[in-house]
Amino acid sequence: MDEAMIEMHHVFKTYPSQISALSDVTLEIFPGEFTFIAGPSGSGKSTLVRILFCAEKPTSGEVVVHGMHINQPGFKKIYQLRKKMGIVSQDFKLLKDRTVNENVAFALEVTGHTREEAKWKASEILKRVGLEEREGDPILSLSAGEQQRVAIARALVHSPSLLLADEPTGNLDAKMTLSVMNLLTDLHQKGTTIVFATQYTGLIKRYSYRIIQILNGQIWDGRKADVNKMNKVEEVKAGG
Amino acid sequence: MTFFLQYVMRRTFQNMMGNLFPNLITIGIIAISMLIFSTFTLLAYNLTNFLKIWEDKIEVIAYLKRGTPSGEVEPLLDKTRLLEGVEVVRYVSPYDAMAFMETKLGRQKNLLQGIQPAVLPPSFEIQLKKEYRNSTKIKEVVTHLKKIPQLEEIQYGQEWVETFSVLVHILRLTQWILGGLLLIAVVFITSNTLQLTISSRREEIEVMQWVGASPAFIRVPFYMEGLIQGLLGGGLAILFLFLMHQGLFLNLPPSMQAWLAKIPVLFLPLETIVWILLGGMVLGFFGSSVASMRVLKYK
Repeated sequence: MDEAMIEMHHVFKTYPSQISALSDVTLEIFPGEFTFIAGPSGSGKSTLVRILFCAEKPTSGEVVVHGMHINQPGFKKIYQLRKKMGIVSQDFKLLKDRTVNENVAFALEVTGHTREEAKWKASEILKRVGLEEREGDPILSLSAGEQQRVAIARALVHSPSLLLADEPTGNLDAKMTLSVMNLLTDLHQKGTTIVFATQYTGLIKRYSYRIIQILNGQIWDGRKADVNKMNKVEEVKAGG
Repeated sequence: MTFFLQYVMRRTFQNMMGNLFPNLITIGIIAISMLIFSTFTLLAYNLTNFLKIWEDKIEVIAYLKRGTPSGEVEPLLDKTRLLEGVEVVRYVSPYDAMAFMETKLGRQKNLLQGIQPAVLPPSFEIQLKKEYRNSTKIKEVVTHLKKIPQLEEIQYGQEWVETFSVLVHILRLTQWILGGLLLIAVVFITSNTLQLTISSRREEIEVMQWVGASPAFIRVPFYMEGLIQGLLGGGLAILFLFLMHQGLFLNLPPSMQAWLAKIPVLFLPLETIVWILLGGMVLGFFGSSVASMRVLKYK
C-alpha cells in the first residue's frame, strides 16, 4: 500500500477559551482518496482542515502532510507545503478588483512564474473548469457557483496532488453544488487527493467516498455504509 | 533574480499607487524630519569648517619678561622650538613690534609718535603643528610654555577658541538628540503608513499565503516601499535644503553678501548627502520591517 499522504496521530486542539475542537484524532488519508470530513457546524471539521494547511497548530499530537512533520517546533516551510496543496473555502477568497484570469494567474505570479506564463497556465486551467468563456470578465460578474469554480481553478493551477476544501459548496444552491461536485469528482478521477469538509449529509450520501465523521472533536471513520451510524451520532447530539 | 526584481518593483508600484495619499503624507513627513536634521547638519558643518579655518590661523604669542638679556633669547628660541607641537618660532623684538604696529595703523601711524619701541615687550610668535591647532592640544603647548620662567604672558585667543568649540559641540549634540527623536518619529510614521497599505492589501496577502507565496514574495515589496519612501523623503529634504541655501544668498542685502563673501558658507558635501539619503532609506526600511513583523506573519 502507498504511504499515507496525510497522517494525524493523537491530535488534540484546545482553544484558549478551553473549547476542545479536536480530541485524540488519529487518521490516515492515502493518495488518490476522496474523503469527506463530515459533521455539524462547530464540530471541529474546519479546525481539522486548518491544521492540515498549517493555518492552526494542534495543541498536541503529530501531523504529517506530504512527509512533512508540520507541527514540529520551528517548522518554517509552510509555503513549500502549500505549493503542494490547493485550498478552497466557502467564501472563495477571490480578489474582487481583478478578472477571472488575473485571479488564477495571481497564484502563479506570486510563486515565481512570469506574467506571461501565469496568464497562459491560468487560461488552460480555466478551460478545465469550464470557464474559458469568462476569463476576461470581472470576478463580481460571475455567479457564486462560477466564483467557486474560479477558486478551485486557482487552487489547482499549481497542479497540486492534494486539494483541501472547507465547505466549498456552503454558499451554493443545489444546481451550483452539483456543478462543483462534478468538477471535484472529475479531478479525483484524474488522481487528485481530495479532502472535503461539509455539514451536508445529503450531499455525502450521493457519493460512495470515504467519510470521516467528526462530532465534538472526535472522529468516526468509515465508508458510505457508516452514514447511518453518522446520522445516529448527530441524533444523539441533537437529543442533548 | 531579474524576474523577482521586476515582480517586486511592480508590486511596490501597485501598493504605492493604491495608497497614494498616505504614501505622499509619509514622504512629506520624512522630508520635513530629514530637513530639520539636515539643517542642523549643515549648520554644524559650516561652523566646524569655520572653526577649522580659524584654528589654522591660530598662533601663540609668548611675551618675554622685560629686561630679559638678549644673550638668553637665542637659547630660549631653541628651547621653545623643541617643545612638542611647535612648528615655527619667530622672535619679535620691540622694534619689530613697533614696525608691525605702524604697518597696521597705516595713515594713522602718527598716533605712535613719541612712543619708544622699548615700551613694547619682545615676544615669540609660535606657529603650531596642524594637529595642535585646536582648543585641547593648544593648551598642552601653553602648559609647557608656562613652565619657562622668562616668559611673562601667553596669549592665544583662548576664549574665542573655547566659546566657539562649545558652540559647535552644542550644535552637534542638538543635531544628534533631534536626529534621535526624529528617527523614532520617522520609524513610527513609516510603519503606520505601511500598516495601512498592508491592511488595504490584506485579502491579497491572505491569498498569497494560501497559494504558497514565499515570505520574500510577500514582504520584500513592502520593504521596498519603505526604502522608496525614505529615499524620496531624504531626497526632498536635500532639495529643500539646497534651495534654502541658495535662497539665503539671493535674498540677502548686498552689504551682508559682501560680509558673507569672506566666510565660505558651504553646502553639504556629497558624502554627507549620500549618508542622509541612506539614512532615510534605512529609516524607511526599519519602519516597514516593524510593520511587517507585526502584521505579515505567515498564517
